[in-house]
Amino acid sequence: MGDLVEIENLTVAFRSKRREGLFRSGPSLKALDDVSLTIGENETFGLTGETGSGKSTLAKVLVALYKPTSGTVRFQGREINYKSRKDIAFLRQNVGIVFQDPVRSLNPSLTVKEVITEALIAAKSIPKKDYDERIMFITKLVGVTKDLLPRRPRELSGGQRQRISLARALVVPKKLLVLDEPTSALDVSIQAQVLNTLKRLKSELNMSYLFITHDINVIKYVSHRLGVLFYGRLVEVGDTRTINTEPKHPYTQSLISHVLTLKKAGLQEAVVSEHRPAPSGCRYRIVCPAAFERCSVVPPWVNLGSGHLVSCFLYDHLSRKENQAPLSTAAASGGNVRVPLQDPS
Amino acid sequence: MAVDNFGETDARQTLAPSVSAPPSSVARPREKGDGDIVLEIKDLTIDFVSVDGRVRILNGVSLMAKKGEVVGIVGESGSGKTTLGMAILGLLDSPPANIVSGSAVFEGRDLLKLKPGEMEKIHGTGINMVFQEPLDSLNPVYTVETQIGEALKVQRRRQDPPVTQETEGESRELITDLLRNLCIDKPEEVLERYPHELSGGMRQRVAISISIVEKPRLMISDEPTTGLDAYVQSRILGMFSAQRKAGETLLYITHDLTIASQICDRIYIMYAGRVMEAGETRGVLQEPLHPYTSTLVASVPQGFEDAPPLAVQLGEPPDLRNLPSGCKFNPRCPYAKDVCKEKEPELEAIFAGRYAACWRVDKELGRFS
Repeated sequence: MGDLVEIENLTVAFRSKRREGLFRSGPSLKALDDVSLTIGENETFGLTGETGSGKSTLAKVLVALYKPTSGTVRFQGREINYKSRKDIAFLRQNVGIVFQDPVRSLNPSLTVKEVITEALIAAKSIPKKDYDERIMFITKLVGVTKDLLPRRPRELSGGQRQRISLARALVVPKKLLVLDEPTSALDVSIQAQVLNTLKRLKSELNMSYLFITHDINVIKYVSHRLGVLFYGRLVEVGDTRTINTEPKHPYTQSLISHVLTLKKAGLQEAVVSEHRPAPSGCRYRIVCPAAFERCSVVPPWVNLGSGHLVSCFLYDHLSRKENQAPLSTAAASGGNVRVPLQDPS
Repeated sequence: MAVDNFGETDARQTLAPSVSAPPSSVARPREKGDGDIVLEIKDLTIDFVSVDGRVRILNGVSLMAKKGEVVGIVGESGSGKTTLGMAILGLLDSPPANIVSGSAVFEGRDLLKLKPGEMEKIHGTGINMVFQEPLDSLNPVYTVETQIGEALKVQRRRQDPPVTQETEGESRELITDLLRNLCIDKPEEVLERYPHELSGGMRQRVAISISIVEKPRLMISDEPTTGLDAYVQSRILGMFSAQRKAGETLLYITHDLTIASQICDRIYIMYAGRVMEAGETRGVLQEPLHPYTSTLVASVPQGFEDAPPLAVQLGEPPDLRNLPSGCKFNPRCPYAKDVCKEKEPELEAIFAGRYAACWRVDKELGRFS
């Protein structure tokens, strides 16, 4: 059985508004650069990275709010042509999205019921007589009580608003739900409730999640697999547990080591300056403690076994057994990068 | 990675409040080293008055901070954390704010009873605050350099003796070093820019550096790292620790328990404008007395995908206009008894250095029962 979503070599570039001269448009910026990933059926794929790494861009491509500059997106094996209305409708029928800001993503002049009904009208696939039944079913599932239906978003708390966003996204059954920082604006106890609801919904409604957040504690708790983005490029993909316990890419290692937990005592001092992406090659090489000459070319994907992929020259020798050279160079450069001495598989 | 380590840092051990003598009363949670108290708030009650009526934002809040201490104020939105910070700085507009009772003594002077003009002399180098929304605290028409430079000038003028001779190159170097320390790349370029040209995270760091150059004796930071990436956050927290070592006192307002557990010596857990639990950070978070604290601790996601659901009670944050009778947490509390719905518990010393406001905490046993 194939994966639900297959993204191959996806690049999304934005052109700067600033023009250089009369006829020449400004430089373009690649928000996503050659990103490939898959999301399986009933899987939660976590996507993390810092601000500006392209997490939300990927989310918006999946609901066709942005069009890819190049690359392909396949949904249930069907390649999406972003110029075809039919394909976009197909994508939106199957993919729901919940945004970060529960205030700005709900129309303030509509009641809760109207907000949810809009999604039903837009879908066109559900007969009007079933609307009420659907709304009752979904609101009960996400934990919105009946008395909230005639109210307007501003009368509700952040957690309630986020549940309504969830109800709107799921009132028409979806195969994939994209969650773009769904709990970042919420208080911890409300965040916990929403996370519990999300986990329960997934098993009850049989769908996949693309869960986007910069909070490693949250992503660790919800996702099966994890992808780490650094300035538009994916640097590491793998099982969440593996990445958290044995991060391989120097960037992932730095990211994981700065995660605060309740039990960890003693701050890890950040040693790097602003994460400035390199214009070419490995984007992390400017701040990477283990960078060496080869990093000026885009590193290949190295398969470390059981779906753990890393894009870094430090592990290059593992995929090409005849060449063991880069190990010594990396070890000599110091830093806190741990280089595996043997093949982990 | 992420090895759990229950050991403490050296700095924390030396700065942790000593718990030798049991405190006499709640309003004056005094222990050893009494003379070092920088800020002492007693019984602070603040109402907001509007056409719809009177809403109590803070209700009998008592709190103190000693020199060189990081004190955390932890709670969810609407718990009164920010109002408390603003009240200390005298920044609450009246109306709508109405200080009903209480005092806030800073270095021997009650901040709530200052004459007009006196507060301005304390602002900046005495007490300052990093606000949650950095765009509101920066002046849009001045460059970053002018704004940090101005703070630096104030700090130098108020030194004893005042430093009036300053070379431009010297202060510029100091400012660029500071920005570089806060993980800002190419600080020379950032100095030339205006606030609107910076990203949210950069603005926040500029606002923090303005506070840091003034070397205040008490710094209040209101969620200063919200929305920043993990490594920038750890750098900022590192700078705060350095300030603490230099003898500055820090009041750290946050809803994030993981941050509080990292940098705070003592924390106050607030709910609906009241202090629910207070004490040394490690004790409070590892063995909470109050059910609300337990809820907060249980809300922090831990473990992997196959971990059990987070143990949280259902229910929404309190509506301050319409609070329940008795303990304000009782509608969300799984352990509420009849007494919890009738009478409001007071914050009491449970054992040395630990306070809780809960009927179900047994003073004799010194634990929740």
